[in-house]
Amino acid sequence: MVKYTDLEYLRMKKGKRFGLKLLSFLCSIPRKTAAFFLMLLTGIKQAALKIAGEARDICMGFVTGDWKTKVSYLVMGFGCFARGQILRGVLFLLFEVVFIGYMVLFGGYYLGMMPSLGKQGPTTEKVASGLRGTATVTIYHDNSFRILLYSVLTIFFIIAFIYTWRVNVKQNLTAERILKSGKKLRSGKEDLRSLVDDQFHKTLLALPMTGILVFTVLPIIFMILVAFTNYCGANNGYTNNLFHWVGLDNFNTMLNWTNGSSSYAATFGEVLAWTLIWAFFATFTNYFLGMMVAMAINKKGIHFKKGWRTVLVMTVAIPQFISLLYVSKMFASNGIVNGLLMDLGIIDMDHLLPFWTDPTWARITVIIINIWIGIPYLMLITTGILMNIPADLYESARIDGASGWQQYSKITLPYMLFVTGPYLLTSFTGNMNNFNVIYLLTGGAPTNNLSTAPGTVGYTDLLITWLFKITQGAEANYYLASVVGILVFLVVAIISLVVYNLLPSIKNEEDFQ
Amino acid sequence: MASVKLTGVKKIYDNKVTAVHDFNLDIKDKEFVVFVGPSGCGKSTTLRMVAGLEDISEGTVEIDGEVVNDLQPKDRDIAMVFQNYALYPHMTVYDNIAFSLRLKKMPEDEIYEKVTNAAEILGITDYLTRKPRALSGGQRQRVAIGRAMVRNSKVFLMDEPLSNLDAKLRNQMRAEIILLRQKLNTTFIYVTHDQTEAMTLGDRIVIMQDGYIEQVGTPTEVFEMPRNIFVAEFIGAPKMNMIPTKLTRSGDNYTVSPFGARLPVDGEKRELLLEGDVGSREIILGVRPEHIVLADSASESSIPCTLEVNEMMGSELHLHVYTEDGTRLIVRVPTLNLSSAQRSGLVAGARLNITFSGKVMHFFDAESKLNLCCGE
Amino acid sequence: MSENTVMAPKKHMGLKTSRRISNTAIYVLLAVISVVWLIPFICILLQSFRVENTMPVGYVIPKRWGIDNYLRLFQTDFPKWYLNTFIIALVSSVLQTFIVLCMSYALSRFRFKGRKLLMRLMLILGMFPGMLTMIILYRVLADLGMTQANAVPGLILVYVASSGMLYYVSKGFFDTIPKSLDEAARVDGATRFQVLKKIILPLSKPIVIYTVLTAFMSPWGDFVFAQYVSMGASAGKNVAVGMYGWLNKDQIANNYTLFCAGGVLVAIPVTVLFLCLQKYYVEGVTGGAVKG
Repeated sequence: MVKYTDLEYLRMKKGKRFGLKLLSFLCSIPRKTAAFFLMLLTGIKQAALKIAGEARDICMGFVTGDWKTKVSYLVMGFGCFARGQILRGVLFLLFEVVFIGYMVLFGGYYLGMMPSLGKQGPTTEKVASGLRGTATVTIYHDNSFRILLYSVLTIFFIIAFIYTWRVNVKQNLTAERILKSGKKLRSGKEDLRSLVDDQFHKTLLALPMTGILVFTVLPIIFMILVAFTNYCGANNGYTNNLFHWVGLDNFNTMLNWTNGSSSYAATFGEVLAWTLIWAFFATFTNYFLGMMVAMAINKKGIHFKKGWRTVLVMTVAIPQFISLLYVSKMFASNGIVNGLLMDLGIIDMDHLLPFWTDPTWARITVIIINIWIGIPYLMLITTGILMNIPADLYESARIDGASGWQQYSKITLPYMLFVTGPYLLTSFTGNMNNFNVIYLLTGGAPTNNLSTAPGTVGYTDLLITWLFKITQGAEANYYLASVVGILVFLVVAIISLVVYNLLPSIKNEEDFQ
Repeated sequence: MASVKLTGVKKIYDNKVTAVHDFNLDIKDKEFVVFVGPSGCGKSTTLRMVAGLEDISEGTVEIDGEVVNDLQPKDRDIAMVFQNYALYPHMTVYDNIAFSLRLKKMPEDEIYEKVTNAAEILGITDYLTRKPRALSGGQRQRVAIGRAMVRNSKVFLMDEPLSNLDAKLRNQMRAEIILLRQKLNTTFIYVTHDQTEAMTLGDRIVIMQDGYIEQVGTPTEVFEMPRNIFVAEFIGAPKMNMIPTKLTRSGDNYTVSPFGARLPVDGEKRELLLEGDVGSREIILGVRPEHIVLADSASESSIPCTLEVNEMMGSELHLHVYTEDGTRLIVRVPTLNLSSAQRSGLVAGARLNITFSGKVMHFFDAESKLNLCCGE
Repeated sequence: MSENTVMAPKKHMGLKTSRRISNTAIYVLLAVISVVWLIPFICILLQSFRVENTMPVGYVIPKRWGIDNYLRLFQTDFPKWYLNTFIIALVSSVLQTFIVLCMSYALSRFRFKGRKLLMRLMLILGMFPGMLTMIILYRVLADLGMTQANAVPGLILVYVASSGMLYYVSKGFFDTIPKSLDEAARVDGATRFQVLKKIILPLSKPIVIYTVLTAFMSPWGDFVFAQYVSMGASAGKNVAVGMYGWLNKDQIANNYTLFCAGGVLVAIPVTVLFLCLQKYYVEGVTGGAVKG
C-alpha cells in the first residue's frame, strides 16, 4: 500500500479519504486476525510457562523446606499450626477434610459416571400396596441430569482444592522465610483485622462471587455441556432420566444445509437475519428519535421542560408487561386501533389492518412500538450528555457561521456518538436479546409454517424468543436450545469484539475531554 | 517528631514502568525537605510510598528507625495534605478536622479543644459549621492543613498543597506554611513542581527527574552549584542561559569564548576548575539572566546582540535578545540601574552589547552535562 | 404555550419570527408526543372502569362506569400475586443493593491481582443468553423445594445471587468519587471498612437509591423466569405471570377489563415511587451510559 504523509492526506478529497480508510481497514483484517491468534497463542504459552514455573517452585519448596512445610504438603494447615497461626491452620485443615469427605461420599461416584451419564434406565417393579393388592411403581435409577450437574460441581470443587492446596504450600514457604529473616508472622487476630482493611476486597467479593459462580457460571457451563448431549424434556422423568453424550451431532443438525430451505439451518439463518435487522432498527431509531426529543425539550425558550420530561419518564416507570401486553391488544384485529379506524370510516370490517397477522406488518409494528417504549429512556440518557457539551463549542461555531443543521452534524452528533459509542454497542446486543418486547407483543407471531425446526418459529421471533420456545413443554428440546444459545453467544461476542476495537472512544479516549 | 530514611526505594508499576529508581535519602528530625521536579518525575510517587498509599517495590522506608514498608497508612503516624485538599464533602469543617481524632476515640471535649485551637491558628473559626463546598480555595486549603495539624503526627506530608491556588493566594499561603512550620516544629516532606516554593520553603531540596534524584542540597547549594544542566535550568527564573562554547586552559588560566568574545574565568570558579584539573574541552556555558550586564561599548569581552522583546516586570526588565548566530538569550536588568534615556533606547531591534563576569559562569561538560566545578 | 408566542416583543422581527415559528413547531411536536405516549395508559385507566362487558372492544370510553372490575380482583388470586411480587421486590431490592455495592466498591477501589480478568470474564458471561440457565436453575430450585407454590424464596434467591453482575453503573459512580478522599481518610487512621462506612456511603446516596429503585422495579416486570419457577402454581405467581394468563385466548373475553384494573393497581405504586425518586434514576442511567 502507498503510504501518504499527513499533509498529503489533508489535501485529499473526502471520497478518497474514505476509500483509503476503508482500504486500510480491510487490509488490516488479516493482520489483526493473525495478531489476535498470536496473542491468544502467546497467552497460552505464558500461562503454561507460569504453571510450569509454579510447579517447579512447589517442588523446590518441598525439597528445601523444613519438616513443618513438608508435612503441610500432605496435611494442609499443619505448618500453620506448628508456627502458631491457628486460625489459618483450622481453615485449611477443615477444607481438606470436607473435600476428602465429599470426594469419597459423592464426588468420586459422580465423576466416575460422567463419561456415560448413567446406564441403568427405569424399571417397573411390583410392590405391596394396601392390604392385599400390589401396585406397579417405576424406579428411575440413574439420573443423568444429577450426574452431569454434580460432576461439574465436583470438577469445580477439585479446582478449588488444587488452588487452596497451592495457597497452603505457598503460605508455608513464605511463613518459613519470614521466620528465618527474624520477623513475626501475622496472628489470627491480625488476619481477621486485615479482612476489614487491606484485604477488605476479599470480604466484599466473597458473597457476590459465590452467587455468580453457583447461579451463573455453573449453569452456563452445564448448558454448554448439554449441547453435546441429547437431553430433552422427555428426560425430565416423563419417560426416563437418561441421556448421553452425542458429540457434535446437535451442531450438525442445526447447521446442516443439505435439506435446503426446510433445514434447521435455514430457519436459524432467517431468525438470525431478522434478529440483526431488529437490533439495528431498535437501537438506532430509538437513539436518534430520543436525541431529537431531548434536543427539542432542551431548546432555549421552550417552557415546561420538567413537565414534558415527566410525562415521558412516567412511561419508564410502568412495568413493561402491562404496557406491552396492553398495546399488543390495542393493535389486535379486534383492538382499539382497528376499531377507531373503522369508526372513522377509513377501513371496513373486511379490511382490518393486519398488524399481527402479516409478517411485514408485524415486523414494522414491533419496531414502531419499540420506539414508543424506548424514546423516554433514550431521552433521559441523551439529555444528560447533551447538557455536558460545552456551550462555547456552539458559540464558536455560530460565530464561524454554522447553521443549525451544521451545528448538529458537526458538533452534537460527533460528540454524542463518541461519548455513547460503548452504550450503542451494549444497546445493540441488548436488543438482540430483547425478550420482553417481542414475547409480550407478538409471542413471535405470525407463525412461519415453512419451518420444520422445533419451537414453532414465527416471523417476529428473535433467536432468544425462539430459544425460549424450544425449551417449553414436554417436547422441550434442551440440546437444540443449548446449541442456539451457544450460537447467540458467538454472534454477540464477535460483534462486540469487532465493534469494540473500532470504537473511537476506546481508541482515543482523550479526544473530547 | 521523627527522622525518615529511604534506602534503595524503587517503584515499578504493573506495566513494568519504573517510576522511581533507587531513591536514597536521610531526612533528619524536624527537617523541612522539598521534593521538586517536573510532572512525572516520581516526586509524588515517592511521597505516597512514604505515606503508605503506594506499595514499595524495592528498598525500605523507615520512620523513626522502624521499617514501615508493610504498615497501613493509618499505622504510620503521618499526616498528609493533598493537592485537591480531599476534604470530606458531606462533613462540616469541624467534623473534617475532628475525623481522625474521632477514629482514635478521643473524648469529645478534648476534640473540641484541639479543633478550635487549630482553627484559631489558621483563622477559620468562623467557618467551622460550614461544609467544604461553601468555602473558597484558600479556606479549603486551611481546613486541609488544620486536619493534618490536629493529629500531632511524627511526619507531615504535603503533596503540591498550593498548586490549586491563584498566584497571589499562593504567595500568602507560602508565608503561612513557613509560620506553621515554626509552630509545629516537626518533620516535613513537601512536594511541588514550583522551584520558587522549593527554594523559599525547604531546608533541603531534592530535585528529581524521570525517577532519579538529580541533586540534594540546601537552596543555596543547588542555586550556586547545580550539579548538572537539568538542575541549573530548573532552579531559577527566568531559566539559566545555556551557550555551547569552548573552555581553553593555558597554564593556570581559563578562558571561554562565547560568540567570538574572550572572557577570562576568575575567582572561586577558576580554583575549582584547577582543583579538578580540568583541561580544555567543549562545554556548555551557563549564565543566569541576572548575571548578564549591558556593556557600555563593544570590546573584546562583550557580545553584540539585537533586542527582540523587552518585558517590563516592574522592578526589573527581561530583555530577550539574539546574538549574531541567532542564539536567544535572556538578560535581567534591574530598572533602577538604567537612566530613563537608556530605558527608552531599549526597543525592539536595538543593538546591544552584553557581558558577564568570570565569577558567575557555570561550566557543564558538553557530553556528560555535569558541572565541571563539582569535581566528579 | 400560545401565550408565549403572542407575548414576544416585536423588535428584530427576522430573528424573533424564525425563532417563534420553530418554537411553535416544537410545542406542537411535544404536545403530540405527550398525547401519543399517554394514550395507552389513559385507555387502560378508562377500560378498567368499564362494566358493560369484559372483553376487548373497539372503543375507549366506557358505556357504563363502575368499579366492579376492582372488586372482582379481590375474588381472584390477584391479592396473593400482588403480595408475592411486593415481598420479592422488597427483599431483593435490599439484598441486591447490598451485593451490588460490595461488588462495585471492591472493583472501583481495590487494585488486586486478577481484577481486570474478573471484569472481562463477567463481560463475557453477560453475553450468554441468561434464558438458557433457567432450565437448570429450575431443577436446582425444585430440588431445594423452592418452586411452584414456594416460588417466592426461589425467585429472591436467583435475583440476588446473580446480581453481582450488575455492578457496572455503581462502579462508574464510585469511580467519580476522588480517590484522594479514601487516601486522606486512610492517612487519618481509618480502615478500609471505615472508609466505606464513613466516607463513601454517605456520598453515594444517589447511586444507592438508584440501585434500590431499579432492584425494586424489576420484579414487577419480570415475566419469563417467574413463569418458569412458578410452573403454573397460582400461589407462586407474581403479578406479571398471573395477569399474563388473563389474556390467554380462552380467558381474554372474561378477564380483559380485569387485566386493566390490575394493571392500574400495579402501575400506581411503582409509578409514584419512581416519580418521587426520578432525579436519582436519571443520574444513574446517564452516568451508566456515559461510562459505557
